[in-house]
Amino acid sequence: MQLNIHRYDPDRDQAPAMQAFEVEARPGMMLRDALLQVQRQDETLAFRHSCGEGVCGSDGLNVNGANRLACITPLHELKAPVKIRPLPGMPVIRDLVVDLTQFYRQYRVVKPYLIRHDPNPEVEVRQSPEERDQLEGLTECIMCACCSTSCPSFWWNPDKFLGPQALLSAWRFLADSRDEATKERLDDLDGPFKLFRCHTIMNCVNACPKGLNPTQAIGRIKALMLKRAI
Amino acid sequence: MSTRRATGLRAWVLQRVTAVYLGLLTPVLLWRLVIAPPADHAEWRAWAAQPLVSVALLLFFAALFLHAWVGVRDIVIDYIKPFAPRLAVLTLTGFGLLACGFWVLRILFLAAVRAGA
Repeated sequence: MQLNIHRYDPDRDQAPAMQAFEVEARPGMMLRDALLQVQRQDETLAFRHSCGEGVCGSDGLNVNGANRLACITPLHELKAPVKIRPLPGMPVIRDLVVDLTQFYRQYRVVKPYLIRHDPNPEVEVRQSPEERDQLEGLTECIMCACCSTSCPSFWWNPDKFLGPQALLSAWRFLADSRDEATKERLDDLDGPFKLFRCHTIMNCVNACPKGLNPTQAIGRIKALMLKRAI
Repeated sequence: MSTRRATGLRAWVLQRVTAVYLGLLTPVLLWRLVIAPPADHAEWRAWAAQPLVSVALLLFFAALFLHAWVGVRDIVIDYIKPFAPRLAVLTLTGFGLLACGFWVLRILFLAAVRAGA
């Protein structure tokens, strides 16, 4: 099976180019296995990967035009020749490795931790099963960046629009019964950029390898904001 | 943060609320002006001069121009980065939409006056 892989070494190459490789497809093979096979042919190929089972979120790649995790993408599902590019819109460090600094910076903006104003109690802050249910589909995010780097609004304003991943995380803490900073969080998200650059394009929902729905989370933030405003 | 900034929530709500009104009234206007149009200018004038119709029309155009303003503002914020063209496009759009608004006012006012309302 043929893989066309994006190659770019900024120290040596004038411009990025696609390079063709042949891999021997075996049953049950994932794209990550194919890339490891390519790396045995050409050890200069750079790509990130770690756990190999869709948990660490390291190997987000643009495969045949869609963002996916290489380790849980079966090779036989892909149309040959498979075009493999780095996640779109991010600066390329080398080959398939991108610089995700901006992505992590936007995550930090939403203060992704519980904020309490009351003095900490002696025992843990309890949550009912119903309150815990509110966090379903939010805590599962592995921060692979497949969603944010598929979002046109994030491409145009990566420094100002927080992107679907950070906004999903923002809702994860707004929806948490133990968090006490709802007002501050909402105030911080107002303005035309951080939240409201989302135009419900929903590329994020298509891209998420964990089946999460950032668009719905963003809608809930807007609804809560409106409820608090009027 | 005390710097002034453009609105997020207000613009978003405005866009949605105006969209609902535009969505409701557009079929009515299409029916009245395209499918069952007035026979002549005098009949149109008499129709537009009815108090309910003229208020509905004024609201329609106010909603349309507000909706257009938020939409153009969104496009400008998304795609036009340098300050000078950004300000220029927003100013031209603002003036253009205001001018259209006053023009609508003038048309509806004259229709009402000439219809003898």
